[in-house]
Order: sequence, then C-alpha cells, then structure tokens
Amino acid sequence: MALIEIDNLSVTFLSKGHRVLAVKDVSLAVEARESFGLVGESGSGKSTILRAICGLAPVSGGAIRIDGQPLDRGAGKGFARRVQMVFQDPYASLHPRHTIDRTLSEPLAIHGIGDTDARVMRALDDVGLPRSFRFRFPHQLSGGQRQRVAIARALMLEPEILLLDEPTSALDASVQAETLNLLNRLRAERGLTFLMVSHDLAVIDHMCDRILVMQHGQAVEELTRDQLAGAQMKTDYARSLFAASADRMLAG
Amino acid sequence: MSLLSVKNLRVSFDTEAGLVEAVRGVSFELGRERLGIVGESGSGKTMTGRAVLRLIRPPGRIEADRMAFDGQDLMRATEREMRALRGPRIAMVMQDPKYSLNPVMKVGAQLMEGLRQRDRLSRMEAHDKAIAALEAVQIRDPGRVMEAYPHELSGGMGQRVMIAMMLIPNPDLLIADEPTSALDVTVQAEVLAILDGLVRNRGMGLIFISHDLRLVARFCDRVLVMYKGKVVEELAAQDLMQAKHPYTQGLLNCLPRIGGPRQPLPGLDRNADWAV
Repeated sequence: MALIEIDNLSVTFLSKGHRVLAVKDVSLAVEARESFGLVGESGSGKSTILRAICGLAPVSGGAIRIDGQPLDRGAGKGFARRVQMVFQDPYASLHPRHTIDRTLSEPLAIHGIGDTDARVMRALDDVGLPRSFRFRFPHQLSGGQRQRVAIARALMLEPEILLLDEPTSALDASVQAETLNLLNRLRAERGLTFLMVSHDLAVIDHMCDRILVMQHGQAVEELTRDQLAGAQMKTDYARSLFAASADRMLAG
Repeated sequence: MSLLSVKNLRVSFDTEAGLVEAVRGVSFELGRERLGIVGESGSGKTMTGRAVLRLIRPPGRIEADRMAFDGQDLMRATEREMRALRGPRIAMVMQDPKYSLNPVMKVGAQLMEGLRQRDRLSRMEAHDKAIAALEAVQIRDPGRVMEAYPHELSGGMGQRVMIAMMLIPNPDLLIADEPTSALDVTVQAEVLAILDGLVRNRGMGLIFISHDLRLVARFCDRVLVMYKGKVVEELAAQDLMQAKHPYTQGLLNCLPRIGGPRQPLPGLDRNADWAV
C-alpha cells in the first residue's frame, strides 16, 4: 500500500459567484521513501494538490489517504507530526517578527516536546546554518538561508512526508543547487517521502523518481525518470514542456 | 559607431555600514545587438542597467569615465535631457508585472497615458495605437485586456502588456531586467520569442539582464558575466560552454540537467582569488 494515495481528487473554488474547478479527478500514489514530482505551468493545479493534502484547499470530490487512513477534515496535531510543507517564497513564509529560535521552537511547544534548546541547535546544524543565527530575524538572512530555516522548521516534528511547493524557484542558481543538495541529503538520512511541485523540469528530474505532468487542473501524463530523460513522452503537452525547458534550450 | 558606450562605470552607496560599491568598473560597448548581463542577486547587473538610465537615487552615486548613448554624454545630460531619453529612446522592462503596473488603473488607460501626454494624440488615435501594440505582443483579445485591471491578467499577459507599453515609442535601446523570471517555462519561451522578433524587426539594441545563464546564451549574441560588481568574463553566446572563468563554469555546472547524474550538484567556490 502506498504512503500517500489520492483518488479522483477535485478541488473547487468559489470566485465572484462562479465555480472554478482547480483540480479535476487527479489520482496518484506515492510509495514510502519515494520522491514524486508534480510539474506544470502556473494555474495547472499542482500546488493546489499539496494544499488540499494539508486541508488548505476546499476538496469537492475524491479521497486523500495517508498510510491508508482517510484525512479527517482540518488537519490535526497527529497529521502535523507526519506531514509538513515547505513553501515557495522564503520571504513570505517566515514570521517577520519572530526570531529563528521562536519559529523553530513553536512546533515543539505546541506538541509538548521538551528538550527545546538541544533540538533547535541540532536543527540549525542539520540544515547547515551557523548556530549564531539562532536569535536573528528573517530580514537579517538571505533568501537561501531563509529557505534553510523553512526546511528546518518543517523537520522539527520529524515528519515522514515533506510537501515541497517550488522550494527553490525564488533562489539563485548556485543557492538552488545547495538547497537541492540539502533536501536530497536529508531525504537519504531520514528516509523521507517527498511530494514536490515545480515548473522546472530539470529540477524535478534531478529530485524525483516519478513525475506527473499537469495542465488545467488535470493529470496529463505520468513519467518515470528514465522516460523523461529518453524523451519518451506520449502527450504533446508534456513534449512542449520538455522542449521549452531552459535546459533543452542550450542543447538545441 | 556604437549605440551605447560605457567605460569604467561605478555605482556606490553611502550606507551606515560604510561605502558599498554595487558596480565596480564595468565597461562595454553595445551596437544594435543583443547583449546579456548575467549574475546572481547582488552582482550589480540590475544596477548597471539602471545606471544607464541614471535611475539611481541619492545616496546612490554613478561615476563613469564615459557613458554615451548615440553620441550624447549621459553623465553630463541634464535631468530634462534624461527625461527626453527615457521612454522614447531608451526603454526598460521590469521584472514583475505585479509590481510594475499601476494596480488601480486599467491596462488601456496605462497604455494610452504616454501617447496622450507625450505624443498629444487624440483619444481615438491613442486607443488604436494601444490596441496595435497589444497585438504586436500577440495578445489575442486586446479589447478585453484594455478594459482589464492588472490583477485580472496572468503573469505572462502582464509581462506582455509591459513590453507593449515600452515598445510604443519605438525606442532604440531596450533594457529588459529579468523580463521572464516571474513566468513559467512555456510562457517564458513565448515571451522571449516575441521580444526576439520585435528586437530583430525594429533593429533595436537590447540589454537582457538575467540570472539564468542558459536562457541568456540562447537568446543573446554576447554575454557579460558579472560577480560582485565586476565583469568576470565576456564571451560570445555560442562559446558559453567553453567558458574559461571558474565562476561562469560554476554557474553552468550548478544547474540540474534532465537525465543528468544523481550526484550532489557542484556548488560555487567563492573563496578563490577572483572573488575579491
């Protein structure tokens, strides 16, 4: 049985009186310790799927199961210990008036986990930030350092699943490389399961074993890493995405 | 004669922490060609672009041995002369349509504002010209877009609107500062193709500022690679893969490739001699 199972998921938003179907009948399954990628243009519904798993989007049909358990509405404390999310924009996802220490220790306080001091220090070490950053504010950090804090925060409760929503698209190329390396190292060390969203096929290819291409809220095509590398896509859309990737541009 | 000539450009800011030099002696010549400026954030690429238009406010300072556009000395030009250049002769496309368009003004009104004020066109003429400009950037229903507010447009549409706006006065030089980094890959390719066509057909000079080395290589004739306010390497775009400088090589190698090996991506060595 897969760790994350999504069956015929639909998400409907109400906007200005009319209904917008953001995700239509999407199904996918992610095995434990697998890294699964969602790729597509903006508005294709890929981020909405992650948000639906966290209970942040109005699910109008279908089912989401984690380890066989259907998600109860409004993700509770138990859910937070298993599933955590890293958001796209490190400038918007950290509380601007909380120190790094407070950001990292809050999940521990909520879940009644002691040993805060040592855990915060270890979290900083794990993501490669100097311990002297502990009492800094987010505005005193660069974008890449902030994203490391966001990753450290997501790992405070030692979850098994990380939902990654474009974790590097706001970062420079070299900082992106460092962040991707960090994520891969943490996955190997802790046996994490990744569900990752990106519009950059090369990033998804580097990080994921299987890929689901999405367009207009629907699943277009599922590819393994080998199929992608061998350009063995069946649908035109997946092919156009492949051709437009900056990586291919240089080769062509 | 070259369109734009820049010699030993320096941009510095007096801050509480002392003097910060954002650009440290950049020189280049630009004809009617496409020049790419690449670097990471903080490399001074945007400041170089803004300095050409003298769009750097005090306490920022611009110094140069020479900075001339079409024979006119930009360092000595009065503010009034600069205003006559900005827009009609040298235009700039900004990074993010979300922040660069007026959020409380309809797109049509923003497009027509310059035509009405600067060119003193009638409402009808301005409207027709604005529609034509939107069609030139391949917006299919310009009538609807004219009546829309910026938040009602997608990122790609907003970016096209900004390009259309900048191209209305038919400038000789276009400075595009990360014009596609807020966009998806597929839309990015479209917008670049539009920009490319316009630059070719109108014989404009283009300065294309971006952090994406591969994009710039594909799109430009010549590339300047900047690091910490200096140009570390200048090369023809097709020779990019043979780049000599370790920083340029580092920038290329740290990008993941489809079908590439699964090893950790190489980082950049910032402690080498050239980095100071």
